[in-house]
Amino acid sequence: MPAAVASRWQDRRRRVFQSVFQTDLSPPTPQAVPLPSANLSFSQGLQYHSGTGPTVTSGSFYDEDTQDTTQPAFFNPPDQGLLVSHTPSNSFHSTVTAGSQPSQLFFAAPDTGTGDQAAYDNAWRLVTARITLPSSVTSPTLAGSLPPDAALPSNAEFCDALAHIVHASTLLPGAIRTDDVFAWHTHQVRAHFSQHVIPLLSGCLDTGSTGDGDPERKGSDQERAKNSHYERHMVIVMSSIRTLEAALRLYSHGFDLLVKGITHAESAAAFGTPAVNVEVLANHFRRDIHALVGNSISQQLTKSLRIVLVRLVGNVLGIPSEDDDGARNLKSRRPAPPTDDDFKALAARQRLHELVEQLHNVGLAGERFQVLFAEVMDWMMSAFVCGAYAGVWSATDRRSLSSVLNTVSRGTGSSVTSPCIISLMDWVENHFARLSFEVLSRISHASVSPVTLSDLKTYQSLALSRLSTLRIAELFDIVLAWPDSRGALDDLRATITTSARRLQLTSHFTQALKTRLLHPGCSTLEILQTYIDIIHTFHALDHSKVLLGHVEPSLKLYLWQREDAVRIVVTGLLASPDEVRAARKVKEISKQQAEQKKAGKRPEASTRRGANKGPVVTPTTTGRSSRTPNATRQRDGLDESSSKAHGATPIKSRASGTGKLVELALLLNDPTKTRHTLVEDEELDWNDMNWVPDPVDAGANYKRPKSEDVIGTLISALGSEDVFIKEFASIVAERLLSLSDPARFDQELRVLDLLKRRFGEAALQNCDVMIKDIEDSRRLDVAIRRAWDEQRRLTAATPVMMSGHFLRSADKRKKAALQRQQQQEPTQYHARILSRLFWPALDREHFLLPDPIIEEQKRYEQGYEHLKSNRKLTWLNQLGTVRVELELRDRTVTIDCTTPQATVIYAFNDSDDDDDIEIDNNASKPPGARRTVDELYTTLQMDEDLITSCLEYWVSKKVLRRLRSPSSPQGGSYTYVVIESLSDPIVDEEDHPTKDDDDPFGNHPTSTTSPQEAGQAAEGPEEESNKPAIDPKELERRTMYWQYIKGMLTNASASMPLAQMAMMMKMLIADGFPWTNEELGEFLAEKIAEGEMEVVSGGKYRLVKK
Amino acid sequence: MGDIQNSAPTLGARKNVDPGQNAVKRLQTELMQLMTSPAPGVSAFPSADGNLLSWRATIEGPEDTPYAGLTFKLSFEFPTNYPYAPPTVLFRTPIYHPNVDFSGRICLDILKDKWTAAYNTQTVLLSLQSLLGEPNNASPLNGEAAELWDKDPTLFKTKVMDRHKDIDDD
Repeated sequence: MPAAVASRWQDRRRRVFQSVFQTDLSPPTPQAVPLPSANLSFSQGLQYHSGTGPTVTSGSFYDEDTQDTTQPAFFNPPDQGLLVSHTPSNSFHSTVTAGSQPSQLFFAAPDTGTGDQAAYDNAWRLVTARITLPSSVTSPTLAGSLPPDAALPSNAEFCDALAHIVHASTLLPGAIRTDDVFAWHTHQVRAHFSQHVIPLLSGCLDTGSTGDGDPERKGSDQERAKNSHYERHMVIVMSSIRTLEAALRLYSHGFDLLVKGITHAESAAAFGTPAVNVEVLANHFRRDIHALVGNSISQQLTKSLRIVLVRLVGNVLGIPSEDDDGARNLKSRRPAPPTDDDFKALAARQRLHELVEQLHNVGLAGERFQVLFAEVMDWMMSAFVCGAYAGVWSATDRRSLSSVLNTVSRGTGSSVTSPCIISLMDWVENHFARLSFEVLSRISHASVSPVTLSDLKTYQSLALSRLSTLRIAELFDIVLAWPDSRGALDDLRATITTSARRLQLTSHFTQALKTRLLHPGCSTLEILQTYIDIIHTFHALDHSKVLLGHVEPSLKLYLWQREDAVRIVVTGLLASPDEVRAARKVKEISKQQAEQKKAGKRPEASTRRGANKGPVVTPTTTGRSSRTPNATRQRDGLDESSSKAHGATPIKSRASGTGKLVELALLLNDPTKTRHTLVEDEELDWNDMNWVPDPVDAGANYKRPKSEDVIGTLISALGSEDVFIKEFASIVAERLLSLSDPARFDQELRVLDLLKRRFGEAALQNCDVMIKDIEDSRRLDVAIRRAWDEQRRLTAATPVMMSGHFLRSADKRKKAALQRQQQQEPTQYHARILSRLFWPALDREHFLLPDPIIEEQKRYEQGYEHLKSNRKLTWLNQLGTVRVELELRDRTVTIDCTTPQATVIYAFNDSDDDDDIEIDNNASKPPGARRTVDELYTTLQMDEDLITSCLEYWVSKKVLRRLRSPSSPQGGSYTYVVIESLSDPIVDEEDHPTKDDDDPFGNHPTSTTSPQEAGQAAEGPEEESNKPAIDPKELERRTMYWQYIKGMLTNASASMPLAQMAMMMKMLIADGFPWTNEELGEFLAEKIAEGEMEVVSGGKYRLVKK
Repeated sequence: MGDIQNSAPTLGARKNVDPGQNAVKRLQTELMQLMTSPAPGVSAFPSADGNLLSWRATIEGPEDTPYAGLTFKLSFEFPTNYPYAPPTVLFRTPIYHPNVDFSGRICLDILKDKWTAAYNTQTVLLSLQSLLGEPNNASPLNGEAAELWDKDPTLFKTKVMDRHKDIDDD
């Protein structure tokens, strides 16, 4: 302890003593009641002493020279210097004076009794004078100054007097006013305690509070402050103990005098009276004193004691406390059971034992202390469980944890193998219970062991319940960490034993789901991925799926609101093997990185994505590159969702790179997962040694699920099968149309089989037909072409363009898709013929195809009608794919693109194609062919938005360049020019370099260029124009809703209020009506503006009559 | 029209759950079809009380018939085992027609014994629309009308106009 503190403390101490010295004490008359004397004020006492103090002294009692002889060894703690305060001895004299003074008064009082009474009074005076308590017990000077004759009461006079008092009835029968000298002594003690010791105790506490209030200390180094914080409280406790010890010694000294005097007297002279039962008296006295002390513990002392206990117990049990030396890296330190040779723990244990013994000796180890100790131990258990096991889920972490174990837990009785639980049991048994045994056995009087085996069991079950609470709180993170968190599930499984616990688990987890997952900040993909992990985790936790069933509803409800959920699941199922491989690779990479990271710095227990998921950036970047091969195929909403998924929260980082639920494809391809158990009825499987009864909280119709069945659970969670099948059909349609490689059907067929098993053959008939269509049309295609080739002469001058188109039969029975591919000279043209009824509605986009393609179409049509009479083809032009080869001046670009895109770029060719004129429409503008959107609109009759997006596509491929056209009246319109040569500088419209060859389709000899630049063009960044266009689906939906509204107002009721209309729509539209009342109101307002509707009285809407 | 005829059987072959529920589901689908591919001159919608088994429909009188330019309101009451039993169809607008009586009841074979589950609301409405132009005078409910239809088209037209009266809902 710093010297400054010590001196300050001493100073304070001294002041307290001085105030105490001035108090007086109760008169030792038999009639004296201790309490009234307490009313005497200090000032009175002071005046009194000043007058009489020097007159009476009994130096023998307070000889300072004797102080060291009788002081017990344990009263000499290392910091004794602090406590020893050499107060001037005159104060003692004065106090003694005060003590004997009332006796004088007593003498002076006129005595009306007999000689006996006088003798008694004399004896009384003599005895009380001898055992009167000094008014201060504080100083070791006093404490050590027990009279040397205390041990052997040789003073015969005292013995006689005592005998007279004790045996007053026989020896002095004449004395009327007699009293019990022991009771008097006890009174004295009480009065003294309350008047002197308690103030002293609070004086001790003052030291503590000074430190708290000291501003300079607050500003000082925190660690030191913390350390001395503990020290300070230790000082408080120790000084309190010492004060009490001194006081008690004083009290027992008087008592001993009495007792020994009596014993002596009785052995010397044989009185006929029965001997006083000394032992009973002693016990009685001790109990009184302990009760006195025990009830005098102030709150502040309790607080200090608690701090001291927490520190010591923490050290013994291996729990790092905040005041610890290593406070700075507390976070990284986990509590661990101390080893046997841990010096710190041993020292703390030793210290604690001493402390407890001292407390017990002074009577502080009463009920209050026990309560305090119990609280501290309770806190320790929580701290240990939370500190040691929070976030410790994976097997590797746990192995290091369990390596500390050197004893196998005995007596737990359970067959638990989880390392966490074993180590916890061990800790409870070898440290926790041991310590409580040690402490309690020191303070209990009973001879029986204070900690029995059943107590140990109680401790262990308490610890287990703490652990389960911890794991329940962590469950969401455990789910996220799957599959590295299996270990934590072992803990949970072992601890979740009651139905109340199960309920706690499910309700807590549901809550966590709501706050952490089911909010707009999480993408659907993420939610689904987490859902998969939840299924895994809960299955590992509880095979019966009952827990999962309790958790799922909120998740399901939320997923139903996500329109893209079904789509994500289906595309996930259909993920190609390439994507799966890519995802695996990404996963491994991020795992490695995570491990590297972990090796460098151990993640905090509170961080969520500890083990396998890696930092946010990693999957995003790798994911991009791995996805590029498939990017063209997935140009629809999926890309959006994936890019969304990469953005925001840490959960997203585990989006497996492709932005798809490839986990599903992995599961689907995993032979172990798809294998089904052969045992039909598990109940009858008598050989199943793992059988367990159904969980208590299972429902009435509960049926034990056979397997984990992630896919099945997911599908059933996504609402009605109709929705799912519909979505599946549309996605399969999309894929079938976009796939050029028929081998890819494997995946579709596999998913189809899976769904058939679930929903039945009939429900998926459409998909069957769709796949069959594609296969049939391949055959048909060959047949048509064969017939066709026979009669056809090869024409050399076909355009170098392949185009695919979809046809639709006029009788609305068949849709057909044609695709044409160019090998060498003839344009290859292939079609896929779709049975219209079985395919999802496909829109027909109108635009004019290039003439050569139309010719091919006609020919194909004829061939088809020749083969299948009574059927006609309707072409769906926009769904085709085309391989385009562009011969530019410096390079040849070969690209697979869509029919509209090919048509648009072909339009830049038109002028030369027919009559070989090398100049554009405008002869004065010689350079690369140029078109504006308006021009293209007139020639192609294509939707303007579509034209623009196609043009942007070619711009992104570095085939076209966008120029602001000055001739255009609107500032926003552009002219698009073919980039004939990449080496051309980007120039303004005005000073175009003259280029003769403006034919992008290269019927002309191409000029030489550098191959590097061509390569550069090919690798051009793939950017999709994100021009917002009205979603055709949305448009369709609006049209449909308008029909509903018209139908409703025509038939149901001529006029209706908005709310009723919204309600009807919600009720009647099978797929749901997602609009809010406000959105419907806006829509109706539009219709009113268009003159279709009007509002009549009462806010009702109705159709305008025409 | 053709697509509805074609798709109806697939819907009818749905696995049966609760019959009433099945009817409601079927009617929802029919409604969706009516809305997505409406036929000219006819429309139908569930009544405003939200009961899907009770519909209101509208037929516009076909051109080149005495009913041209007139609008007729009808009510459909579907049984719970619909579409295995025909709906009860009534003209709510008073109509002068050989096959409709004065309380609006209709004599049409497909609404009686010729009903099959392949029919639906739209086909019934279209049949009724064509019935307006081509009444079945062999089995009239309104003998006078049947007679006048052939003998005195002008008087028939007058009678039609007399009888017709736009009704207001609400």
